[in-house]
Amino acid sequence: MPDLSSWMARNRWVWSLIGVLILWGILSLITDRVSLHSLSGVATSASFLVLAALGQMFVVTTGRGNIDLSIASVIALSAFVGLIVIGGNDGRIAVGLLAVLGIGLAVGATNAVLVVLFRIPAMIATLATGYVLATTTLIANRSIAGAVASPALAFVAGGKVGGVPVMFLIALAAVALSSLVLGKLAYGRTLSATGQNARAARLAGVRTGRVTATAFVISSVLAALDGALLSAYVGGAFLEMGAPYLLQSVGAVVLGGSLIFGGSSTAVGTLFGCILLVLIVTTMQITGLPPGTQDIVQGLVIIGVLALAGRPVLRRIVRAEPKAARGAGAQ
Amino acid sequence: MNVVPLSREKAPQAEAEPVVALRGITKAYGPTLANQAVDLTVGPGEIVGLVGGNGAGKSTLMRVLSGVTVPDEGSLVIGGAARNWADYGPGEAQAAGIRIVHQELSLCGNLTVAENFFLERPDAGSARPGWRRTYRALARQWLDAVFPGHGIDVDAEIGDLPIGQRQMVEIARAASDPDLKLLVLDEPTSSLDPERSRQLRSFIKSRAAQGVAFIFISHKLKEILEVTTRIVALRNGRLAWAGSVEGASVERLVEAMGGEAGASLRAGRQRHAAWSPGGGRVLARIDGEAVASLGHPVELRSGEIVGLAGLEGNGQRDMLHRLFTARASGDVACLGPVSFVSGDRQREGVFPLWSVLENIGIGRIAGRSEVSPVSSRAERAAAAPTVERLRLDPSRLESNILELSGGNQQKALVARALAGDGEVVLLDDPTRGVDVNAKAEFYGVVADVAAAGRLVVWHSTEDIEFLECDRVLVFSGGRIVRELVGEEISEEAIVNSSFLQPAASREVAGAAPGPAASPTRGNHLGRRLIGLMPFVSFIAVLGAMAWANPMVLSAFGLDLLLGSAVALTLIALAQMFIVGGSEIDLGAGAFAGLANVISATLLVDNPAAGAAVLLLAWLSYGLIAAIIHARKIPSIVVTLGASFIWVGIGYSLQPTPGGSSPEWLAPLFTWQIPGVPTTIVLILLAGAAAVLIDRSPLGVVLRGFGSNAGALERGGWSVLRYSVIRYLIAGAFALIAGLSLTAINTASDINSGGPFTLLSIAAVVMGGCALLGGVISPLGVVIGSLTLSLIGALLGTLGVSTDYNAAVQGGLLLLILVLRMAVDRREDA
Repeated sequence: MPDLSSWMARNRWVWSLIGVLILWGILSLITDRVSLHSLSGVATSASFLVLAALGQMFVVTTGRGNIDLSIASVIALSAFVGLIVIGGNDGRIAVGLLAVLGIGLAVGATNAVLVVLFRIPAMIATLATGYVLATTTLIANRSIAGAVASPALAFVAGGKVGGVPVMFLIALAAVALSSLVLGKLAYGRTLSATGQNARAARLAGVRTGRVTATAFVISSVLAALDGALLSAYVGGAFLEMGAPYLLQSVGAVVLGGSLIFGGSSTAVGTLFGCILLVLIVTTMQITGLPPGTQDIVQGLVIIGVLALAGRPVLRRIVRAEPKAARGAGAQ
Repeated sequence: MNVVPLSREKAPQAEAEPVVALRGITKAYGPTLANQAVDLTVGPGEIVGLVGGNGAGKSTLMRVLSGVTVPDEGSLVIGGAARNWADYGPGEAQAAGIRIVHQELSLCGNLTVAENFFLERPDAGSARPGWRRTYRALARQWLDAVFPGHGIDVDAEIGDLPIGQRQMVEIARAASDPDLKLLVLDEPTSSLDPERSRQLRSFIKSRAAQGVAFIFISHKLKEILEVTTRIVALRNGRLAWAGSVEGASVERLVEAMGGEAGASLRAGRQRHAAWSPGGGRVLARIDGEAVASLGHPVELRSGEIVGLAGLEGNGQRDMLHRLFTARASGDVACLGPVSFVSGDRQREGVFPLWSVLENIGIGRIAGRSEVSPVSSRAERAAAAPTVERLRLDPSRLESNILELSGGNQQKALVARALAGDGEVVLLDDPTRGVDVNAKAEFYGVVADVAAAGRLVVWHSTEDIEFLECDRVLVFSGGRIVRELVGEEISEEAIVNSSFLQPAASREVAGAAPGPAASPTRGNHLGRRLIGLMPFVSFIAVLGAMAWANPMVLSAFGLDLLLGSAVALTLIALAQMFIVGGSEIDLGAGAFAGLANVISATLLVDNPAAGAAVLLLAWLSYGLIAAIIHARKIPSIVVTLGASFIWVGIGYSLQPTPGGSSPEWLAPLFTWQIPGVPTTIVLILLAGAAAVLIDRSPLGVVLRGFGSNAGALERGGWSVLRYSVIRYLIAGAFALIAGLSLTAINTASDINSGGPFTLLSIAAVVMGGCALLGGVISPLGVVIGSLTLSLIGALLGTLGVSTDYNAAVQGGLLLLILVLRMAVDRREDA
């Protein structure tokens, strides 16, 4: 079976799909409350995570341990701004989405400038912008009173077409688009090159700064749109709204088989990673685990998956080392 | 006293037990055999010269000898005792008296000369107070012994020394081992001027007379012939020649090493015949400072192969990179599209996750619009002609690039350069680690490339390769000092020109390669100002507070204001130790929160169980380090995951804020002595503890790991152990922070710790620690924490809503980082 195993090695998203199927099977066995209805609930929850996680995936792909920690704050802020600007009025959706898009672009550009131009480690830069945004959210919180979602946006976020949540279709479209960008466009190649070996990429002519900057903008824009849709879905906004998406977006990317070191990502994997994570959370809720334990389990899953996935890929990279080292030592 | 009782026999060359004997060493890396049945025996007092071209297997053999690499086959006997590979590592090699001076320097740039001596010889008295004095004396003693009149300050940081002096420290440090049996010197003289080289040679001879054995690796064959007693030549991983120095000559060694000289000379002559100077379009121009010694600008034309020669680190590589980024105007101008081929394939060449074809294709894709489509079929078609010309096996295009031999990887990289539209091809030591046959083939390829109308600019570390060039620019001290054309090009002419400038200016250039790189005073001033920033901002904030309310400066006022600073300082100090290892802990705050909860609940109800759980938590904090290092995964994600675990545990123990402080705990943090601000004393105590750890031998090792982990690992220090220790130290500080929260607030809240994470990072950054590790400053961190705590109070005094706290703190962090990076960048430029 060498073909199958090498195929599996190249398509790491298979593992998350297998995980989804197994967990789904267990869930069906242990409880009769799993129905088509709860299936669509899982799909909707996963869809909101998908948008955030796809953005995180682009940032992670740029390598060097880059990660976007401002996602949670962007989601919360755009949830507030979306609600306030649209004010329950369908006619103002376009304005509201423009405002939200503006937040995404502005935050993404800020992160990009800090990381690319000022060479501040991505996690510190995004952590700090996240804090600045949190203050903005606090201020927005004061003028939120009585805001409701607009009916049209609420339908997009929570409605169904032919029994399938609209939101899930949006998530699928985003996954398809991301797959296209990663696999079939020049940007995907240059992004992967940057993530694998930024020095080599620069010397090969890749505009690595631009590539990395784009990834940060994609991440913030997706998180912003996600926040607006999320507020329409829950019909309100609150300060801690984005918090769960911080760890989960990273977790879904890793679970899906993208390399945490960058250079190789799979949008389909991220989709399955999201579904798997949401299923895990759902299972914990159904089995009545207390919230504290749920946090512990999520943390353990992320560390466990990383610890299991970290090695084999690394070995492949390390294998090249002796040759180069030998060259280096023998001048 | 004429009779000295010798414990060691004096130079008993022939009969004595060999110091080491390697037999039948074979080591394969993928398809390449780096060593093939190599034997090497070194007797006491022998000086063995080890020669061979790049990739001949010298370094692999030395890595086997020093316990870094385990061979596939072969045996090792040290001092008559056979060694088992399974329990032979760098530490064992050192214990057996085998020391190696690597070509890539293994000093820690952030430590002083004396501290680096400590890392090499921790046993020479590290436990006693005043250990620094011991190592200062040791460093001075050995530097004086090897390089009389060295002029090196043993308290200087290695990073501030020019490269020549660093090499001297490296050699003296290895030589200082009292049990030294065998010292391996890998290209020891590459950055030394002739006088220092002579000192080294005479030191080697005098030590050899006392029975110490040496292995001397060098490309400078005359030097080898002068210093050694026996010579071993390797070629393609095999023993090619071995014999006493009397029977050796430069010609004989060159022939044994693969006769490269002969082969390439022939090819070179042919090229010179075909090439006529002055033809072709001008594609690049070098003017200004770089050609000041030459007196006229240099124009590089299409169809030419131009070599950049000189001793390593004299500005050749820098010039190559300047050409790569050059525009059409300026001192260094490049008029055509450029492509770059580096011989450092792992760091600057290959994309390890990709196939050969993808590695080639990126050269074409890189310059295109982001949204243009790519497909393997188009790439294959586009690459086909180049692949054929370079004689790359088309059936291997789908293989992972790392499965190819070094020579074929290099061909793929050349194919990448040719796949783009680069008219100027820059080669940076392209044949590094490539075997002899592949080299010859590669020279042919380069000639073809030039003949096809491109300009090839070639930097090499092997002078003999310049015989392939039409023109050679010889660099010294960052400048072009000589231009050799056509028949003028010879190894001798290049070597002679390389030494054209006085040694002093070369060393300066070595420390900061490149013509524009000598750091100016203004930049040092900038760095010093940045260093003062935490103190200045602290005084500014405190001043503003005192101006608003003079009561602030009283002991009571300070106590009140800085109440929250105790926990922050402790957590920031915890974060500091993590950052010192170039990592970041996103769970530090949450961990302190957990300690807060445990100490306010379990520890009150059941002291034994509470203490046990706290201990367990502390150990699991150390476990994180083990996971990170055993599995080589990023600390950010692991600690982010861990922060959820800490919060989850705390939440499970205590879903809502509450609890109380154990009775014995509160007095520890809330004692009162009239007139003494308690919090200030506590904060100073925390800072003093951190300073003590940092200044202790352990702290030096931790800082060393932050700067040059690879070197410490080669030196026999365990990465895993010191990572765990680092996390345990950090964990202890965070744990005490949690206890202080309990004592001061007499209650606990699992969410109270979270916000400290960003603040701790901000304090560490403000305090002047380098995020890339190795540079930490406990005092700066304490001041940074105090400043950040005061900002909250200041905003309150000014009547600004506390909502803005986070924004101000986050903004301040960014501002400091941006300023710091701006200063650093000016220094780089």
